[in-house]
Amino acid sequence: MRNSTSLKQEFLKKWIKGLQVCNSSSEKKMTILERKKAIKLSADIAVASTRNGTTCWSRAVIANATQSNRVVVERILGPHKPSRSVSSVMHKKILKKSRRVCSSRSRRVLMRKRDAAKTRSIVKRLVWKKTQVLKSLVPGGEFMEDEMCLIAETLDYIVSLRAQVDVMRCLAATTELINGK
Amino acid sequence: MNRALPEMLNCMNAPGTFLAGNCTDMTVLERQRARMKWHQHEHNDPIQLHQQQQGYNFSGNELSGVFSVPIPTGQSQAQGFMGLVCGDSEVKPDPCSENRWAELGYGSCGLVVNNNGAAGFEEMINGHNNNSNISRTFSCPPTVAAEKKSNDAVLSQKINSPAGKESFKKRKADKVQSSKAVAAEDDSTEKRMKGCAEEGDSKITEQTSTKNNTNNDRESSGDTSKDNSKASEVQKPDYIHVRARRGQATDSHSLAERVRREKISERMKYLQDLVPGCNKITGKAGMLDEIINYVQSLQRQVEFLSMKLAAVNPRLDFNIDDLFAKEMFPACAANFQTIGMSSDMTNSAYVQFNPAQQMVSSCGLDMGINSSDLALRRTISAPVSIPETFLDTSCFTQAPPTAIWDADLQNLFNVEFHQGRTTPFQSQPFTGSIEASNLKMEM
Repeated sequence: MRNSTSLKQEFLKKWIKGLQVCNSSSEKKMTILERKKAIKLSADIAVASTRNGTTCWSRAVIANATQSNRVVVERILGPHKPSRSVSSVMHKKILKKSRRVCSSRSRRVLMRKRDAAKTRSIVKRLVWKKTQVLKSLVPGGEFMEDEMCLIAETLDYIVSLRAQVDVMRCLAATTELINGK
Repeated sequence: MNRALPEMLNCMNAPGTFLAGNCTDMTVLERQRARMKWHQHEHNDPIQLHQQQQGYNFSGNELSGVFSVPIPTGQSQAQGFMGLVCGDSEVKPDPCSENRWAELGYGSCGLVVNNNGAAGFEEMINGHNNNSNISRTFSCPPTVAAEKKSNDAVLSQKINSPAGKESFKKRKADKVQSSKAVAAEDDSTEKRMKGCAEEGDSKITEQTSTKNNTNNDRESSGDTSKDNSKASEVQKPDYIHVRARRGQATDSHSLAERVRREKISERMKYLQDLVPGCNKITGKAGMLDEIINYVQSLQRQVEFLSMKLAAVNPRLDFNIDDLFAKEMFPACAANFQTIGMSSDMTNSAYVQFNPAQQMVSSCGLDMGINSSDLALRRTISAPVSIPETFLDTSCFTQAPPTAIWDADLQNLFNVEFHQGRTTPFQSQPFTGSIEASNLKMEM
């Protein structure tokens, strides 16, 4: 695992590159919401691309971003991006199919458990519900069947989110200063 | 050899005095350390090493096989030892056989020392070895000798003594089997010691014996290092404790499930360390709650910050992009590196990002003493103490960063500005000087 410092540096570099791309792609004056969207999109893509596609959540972030704004993503991530995004879409389809199967199975398992022991099943359902919530929070988490995988991804996601927040806070403070002076 | 001799004598003298100090457990430990040190010195010297192994082989019964190996320097003394040892096959508490064992255990020492005529040392050993735990002390030197590379002091006396005592007999049997493959035997003893350290139980004997057998098989097959490493890999699964408690299932599926659950709980522990305020919570549901809250808060922070950035900047190019990329980024990177220097030592597996480091660097402005204190504590304490520091720093990281980052960046920015443009800032010299000194201190 890398140092958080190098992570921040890489993120900052990519983010600024992405911002420039966003800026150059839209010539007209943007509203504040558009700007915010662009900033967030570029930051998300940058933080996901620091992982180089090694983690599920980063791939999911990039895939989602590709769906919403393909041009920017392709420009930020370079020319070799389209093939990967297409393949990730393919993966997504496959995973969705498998998820349907798995979720129905897990529901069945859950039903059986509820019949078996009530108190234990209540706790388990609680944990299961929270796991679902966590899955919905971590990008790409809905495709993670394994709990271990989910937790590992969450760890990684938290680490990079913190880096992202730190760098963004730093940049916000700087720009505020500059604009204030 | 002559070069290593004085150090060796030094090291050997220390155990001698410890022996005079009635051979307590501590002396055994101390002697192990001394021996380890000595072996580090002596490691490069093949002749001496050879003699050492020769000396250990005396503990076996097969003296003839041992003596078929030529000794370049200490032949005559070795003959003398043979005379001494001849009828000796087991450890008895009577002093005279102990003395012989003393000479056995310190065979190499005796050889070298006698070469230089310093027989008084040997006398001293012989004179003071009247303790009954002598067998233990002599079980130590070969094993420690085997540990040329791995000089871990983890081999505490508690682990070592029963293991050594019990593997002593085994070793004798072993030497009978494979007295010619001395170097490989060395390897096997090393491995055995590792096994002992891992187990720390009294039932080591069975495992060590099996290990010995496998190792001996491998020795006879001829390969040394690669084979042994493979052997260690093969043997390693033996030491993953998947132990079923009373009433638990022992079939492979439930064992695997248990291992998986343990792994999950381990990762949850990492998450606990990572998520602030999650330390006190037990129970999976509560932890998941905390994690969810934290992730949500981070995501909201990202939203908020992007909104803030959008609001602050009338245009998207941030007005500083080129500057940030060209000029400020190197400086920022330098600042980051000062963070990174202190954070290198605290990398446990998953905790990449330490708010403590952040604090140490970012709060350097106003609480220099505190930060250095924290840094010191960090260097001293292992990553185990991370949760505690988390508790300390979580409150700090919430409050100061914006302001301090302000100051940092302001300073950086202003340095750049002073270099590039001629924009006057009134308050700059003050913060700049402080920050510069702080940076120097951190460097």
